[in-house]
Amino acid sequence: MTTPSNGPRAHHTRESAESFLAELRASAADLSSRSIRDLVRVLGSVGTRFLDPDDPLRKAAEERIPEEAGLTPQMTRAVIEGMARDWTPTRLTKLVEADFPDPGVLDGFRPGPNGDLLRAVGGSLAFHVGAGSVPGVGATSLLRSLLVKCPVLLKPGRADIALATLWVRGLAERDPDLARACAVEYWPGHAGGHLEAAALRSADRVVVYGGSDTVRELRSRVPPTTPFLAYHHRWSMGAIGRERLAASTEARRIAAAAATAVATFDQRGCVSPQVIWVEEGGRTTAGEWARALAEELEALETSLPPGPVDAATAATVQQLRGTAELRAATGTGDRVFAGSGVGWTVLYETDPRPAPSCLSRTVRVKPIERLEHLSELLEPHAATLQSFALEASDERRRTVGEALGRAGVTRITSFRRQPWPPAWWRHDGSGPLQALVRWISLEEPEEPRRENP
Amino acid sequence: MREPTGTDESTRRDLRRELLAAMSEGVQVPWSEERFDDLALRIFRYQAEFNPVYRALVEARGMDPAGVSGWRQIPPIPTRAFKEFSVAGSSPEPPQARFRTSGTTGGRERRGEHPIRDLSLYRASLLASATGFLRPEAELRGPDWADRSLRVLALLPDPQERTDSSLAHMAGVLAEAWDDGKGGFFLDTEWRIDHLGFQRALDQSAGLGAPVLLLGTAFAFVRWLDGGPTRTPLPPGSRIMETGGFKGRSREVTRVHLYAALSDSFAVPVERIVNEYGMTELLSQFYEPVISEGVDPGPQARRHVGPPWIRTRVLDPETLEPVQPGRTGLLSHLDLANLDSVSGVLTEDLGIQLPDGFRVLGRVAGAEPRGCSLAMEELLSSTGR
Repeated sequence: MTTPSNGPRAHHTRESAESFLAELRASAADLSSRSIRDLVRVLGSVGTRFLDPDDPLRKAAEERIPEEAGLTPQMTRAVIEGMARDWTPTRLTKLVEADFPDPGVLDGFRPGPNGDLLRAVGGSLAFHVGAGSVPGVGATSLLRSLLVKCPVLLKPGRADIALATLWVRGLAERDPDLARACAVEYWPGHAGGHLEAAALRSADRVVVYGGSDTVRELRSRVPPTTPFLAYHHRWSMGAIGRERLAASTEARRIAAAAATAVATFDQRGCVSPQVIWVEEGGRTTAGEWARALAEELEALETSLPPGPVDAATAATVQQLRGTAELRAATGTGDRVFAGSGVGWTVLYETDPRPAPSCLSRTVRVKPIERLEHLSELLEPHAATLQSFALEASDERRRTVGEALGRAGVTRITSFRRQPWPPAWWRHDGSGPLQALVRWISLEEPEEPRRENP
Repeated sequence: MREPTGTDESTRRDLRRELLAAMSEGVQVPWSEERFDDLALRIFRYQAEFNPVYRALVEARGMDPAGVSGWRQIPPIPTRAFKEFSVAGSSPEPPQARFRTSGTTGGRERRGEHPIRDLSLYRASLLASATGFLRPEAELRGPDWADRSLRVLALLPDPQERTDSSLAHMAGVLAEAWDDGKGGFFLDTEWRIDHLGFQRALDQSAGLGAPVLLLGTAFAFVRWLDGGPTRTPLPPGSRIMETGGFKGRSREVTRVHLYAALSDSFAVPVERIVNEYGMTELLSQFYEPVISEGVDPGPQARRHVGPPWIRTRVLDPETLEPVQPGRTGLLSHLDLANLDSVSGVLTEDLGIQLPDGFRVLGRVAGAEPRGCSLAMEELLSSTGR
């Protein structure tokens, strides 16, 4: 059902909330009658529309997102395209196959590896709670539930309403029956009323994106028997090995890619790098690379301009800059590179320990003696790490990557790919569709006879 | 070339004497621009020469202290610098106190520290302001003046036990100068309320005895009021100073409610309930001048003013240029009482520039999280569990 509004639907009575959810739940029958192949085709056809600049859905998204999410039109286009690239039939197929090598398990029992039959079911109602202001996260989440044939109520983040709503509208245009299996409803935090309460109480699965407070609060309201999936806030980083700094053109190319990774989503993404280490001993020093990064961020201020910065963030940027300036003045070797406003800041810091930035394209660049020392620096932050752009030789990417993984990183990538994890990525370390299903196994009446060795 | 100066100690002695004399005049008579500039610039040159951290900043900016001609050109340091640097000037003796900022972010982040070389400057500054804004009917007579006809009840820890709290110290100074001997402190060192003790003190103060000055953080008052409906009408002439109420809270809702509840609970009229805005990094404080002016525009329309030896600019958060009157920006203070550290302090507090003061809006956090990225504040709180 299409309920594209942030309005009165949230003001449910207990009864109306329950009947609203019952209606959603009732669509599970239709959903489960579709084959996964058919679902991918239909859902993918909706997603593809967002890649066409002339499509009315795409146009509506371009119109609504800048104001809603505080992104510039250029950034809005980049975000829509980056997100929608993963909503096409091809990419959705890859997503399904990555989590289910035999996608038929979503349609019915299929032979498993040990003679049993296996089937994956998504349930009859999922409740997803989005976060913040990265447009497209909500629509992606909703899509995942539909792929496992589970009706879904999405409460998007405040600045992610448009894309989710438009996506559902597109689905309604293409396949009204299928669209009955999803609803997008926005309400401000703590104003969920009966609908939120009923959804938390009765959903088969609750998926929450958000900060620790949100996750803690919602988790406490979900029955202990309900699977609860939390994508809590995380942060990302990067590092450059000295072997990639031999040629100044390559150092510059990496700086350009890193600047784009920082700038994308105005650094609000959990995939946005906040700290970058530069290994010492390369032809380009860490300080020189920091300057190159600053120049690239400066250029992006024109080609991919940042949206408005709220006062609290600007205040923190000024504090970081002012403190860094003092550090520089007192001879620590630290430096600050900054634009005229607060649109971007590069803090060159000699202290190798990571610290998150305040966003708004604020990035810390730190020299490090050897990339092999990274994992011990990251260990204190294990629970909140996510994507790590590792620019190094193939061999070191594997050895250092191994250590990063042990330290808590779940995705090792390059700066170029960092902002756009592929549809099939192991989201925060697990398969995104696998996390949404329950397995049913149908065993043979007798245990298979053990074969002779 | 710099002007020839005396030694740092003789320069400081003169500045200190001048400051103490100025503070003993009280807060009611405003200073001319020239008077403030004159003292501000001499203190700036002193700090630019003898405060190592500040001197480094001034030199790194290529500033010639002698060429600075107005207080608005004096560069501030950010409040976060108090967490990383020793902001004290060079001093032959150890500090008399080390005030620390509260550890609000899960305890992982280092707390800011303001080493106080000379508590007498703090005492003189705070006593003059408190007299002018909380007790304007009294007449300040020098820093050693005392008039112990009030009862000072503080929902704050005892300054003897929390020697690192500038706020508790301030309450201690007020109690020492004003309390009739029967007041006290009713938070323990962990800032928990001694409910029985406080109730007993209130009961003993009720009726027609000495007027009470009730001091406390907004947070403590809220907890006290939440504890149960105990109405204890305080004697006529009583007043309440509430502080720390802005950070992270919605001013519109909580202040109006809090003041109404306080007024109801203690029979103190709302126009005698005053917010104090102060910070560990500053030795001077700002108050809502409702008692001193005898006019209250209502809790939402009030403004803050400080003593004449502190001036505040409201700066555009993006450019750090002054905003137009009526606009919102970051508060940047120049507190001459900070003689022994750094006078210029850029805060993270937002305020509105008014013709004669400013209105504190507090730290305005985004209404919703900014994204799925973990920003610094949350990281610090999430790892502190």
